Amino acid sequence: MTTTVAGTRASHMPLFVAQSWALVMRAVVRFVRQPASWIPGMVFPLLLVAVNSSAMSRVATLPGVVPPGTTFLMFLLPAAIIQGVMFGGISGGAELATDIQTGFFDRLISSPVSRPSILVGRLGGAMAFGAFQAVVFQLILWPFGGDVVGGIAGRLVLVVVAVVLSLGFGALAAGIAARTGQAEAVQGFFPLVFISLFLSSCFFPTELMSGWYQTVAEYNPISVMVDGMRYQVLEGFSWSEAAQSVGVAAIIAVLGLWFAAAGVRKRIAVGG
Amino acid sequence: MSAPILVEDLRRTFDDITAVDGVDLEVHDGEIFGFLGPNGAGKSTIVRMLVTLLKPTSGRARVAGFDVVSQSAQVRSSIGVALQDAAIDPLMTGRELLRLQAVLHGIGRKDGNERSERLLERVGLTEAADRLVGGYSGGMRRRLDLALALMHEPKVLFLDEPTTGLDPMSRLNLWEEVRRLNTEFGATVFLTTQYLEEADELAHRVAIIDHGRIVREGTPVALKDQVGSPTLRLDVPGEQYEVARDLLVQFGEERAARSGRLAVGLDAGATGMRDVVRALDEAGIEVLHMELDAPSLDDVFAEATGRRLEGAGE
Repeated sequence: MTTTVAGTRASHMPLFVAQSWALVMRAVVRFVRQPASWIPGMVFPLLLVAVNSSAMSRVATLPGVVPPGTTFLMFLLPAAIIQGVMFGGISGGAELATDIQTGFFDRLISSPVSRPSILVGRLGGAMAFGAFQAVVFQLILWPFGGDVVGGIAGRLVLVVVAVVLSLGFGALAAGIAARTGQAEAVQGFFPLVFISLFLSSCFFPTELMSGWYQTVAEYNPISVMVDGMRYQVLEGFSWSEAAQSVGVAAIIAVLGLWFAAAGVRKRIAVGG
Repeated sequence: MSAPILVEDLRRTFDDITAVDGVDLEVHDGEIFGFLGPNGAGKSTIVRMLVTLLKPTSGRARVAGFDVVSQSAQVRSSIGVALQDAAIDPLMTGRELLRLQAVLHGIGRKDGNERSERLLERVGLTEAADRLVGGYSGGMRRRLDLALALMHEPKVLFLDEPTTGLDPMSRLNLWEEVRRLNTEFGATVFLTTQYLEEADELAHRVAIIDHGRIVREGTPVALKDQVGSPTLRLDVPGEQYEVARDLLVQFGEERAARSGRLAVGLDAGATGMRDVVRALDEAGIEVLHMELDAPSLDDVFAEATGRRLEGAGE
């Protein structure tokens, strides 16, 4: 879309970028102005980490669970980030459903806004929130023993994975939002994702699992992703482990984007 | 220039329900066109097709000279839209929303900011510009919605039930604003409404829709004249009753009235009042009470559909 109002554009920023940026800022402003919508999603993972690290601290003493000199809280740090990002991403996607329900989506598509900007604006907000969560979780857990052996580089990997994963979860949620137009339907997606976290190595080492649970957890892509993040926290920075985590997050993001773009395209074509 | 809105045999079905059933319309340049009908008549479906939010099942529509299906991007650049229920983000301020609207329409930052300030002033929201829209009254939201629709100075403006749910004073203010932007900007306005008096007050021409079909179209005066002539009711002193009656029947057919009152249908329409008054004056008849009962658009609707529109949408 290159249509402009004749003689009025002074900026050299491409229209798509300007529109996407404006919609990202709107998404960020909405997050900031309704803390009740995201604070519980940040508090819950922290509480879960606090409870698990306290109740299962003796797990860390078992051989092979965590390297010497590290803590079970460090083991759980990636899980807290993934869980928070999942909450945030889904909330970000659900905002698209809110836009559809309130008619703001119609306002957008009846303007000459570039179509991809609508999705970029929504998901850009979710990514910004994902980065915020990854930083805040690390800062909060740091004084309680939630250090990262990989240092700045390792911490940065956690933030990058969080951002890419926010895009993935946000896109999947936006895809459901575009297809159903119902925020409730998007929230209904949450338990499925939550279960997928429990069926992974997020909260417990797969070595200590048994039977089908262990098999599912070992083959769960989320385990692959969280193990790569955990390596940065417990062992030190590693390019290959970072690529493993970012790669899985990126696959989720690509699938999510395909799902979301198809959903938005369909909604615009059908005219909701 | 071709008509700003031209619709030919437009249809839209939803599964087995026909919401719009072969509509033809032509809206002239610079006019306020009122689209009147009860809830569920198909008004909003037609608007959604004209503003490219909904694809027609069949038929053609051109807005601002562009086809709504094959040239939808050009249509969107040329129109301003204020849809039903003023879909305004309650978590943003009026000023933020106007600036966002400017970006969405490809207007540069400096120009967008200037236009935002002008529009805020125009719709009387400068004071409230930095308050969250969630705290605005219904009237303020509608005025902001109108300002948003005007950001890019559109050639054609669609207002879908802009006063639904507003109190009488807010409604009057919004009517005044619509009139002003029509006369000052020369914008063609397509206004849907379920309020008879709104269409009567604002619209140069009116189309009445029922069950997805246009049942009447024309100027409000012409439509009402088609229903019948206005009825003049007159009270005069008893001793002048017969003289007055002989005089009045020269202006039209006598109609039923309560005892002691005269009633006549004016053949010349409401404009015939001037001649009646002059004749009564010249004959020295004392008029105790006089009223002119003109047909309303509701009478037009009733004549076309056999039902009353008044209150149907409440």
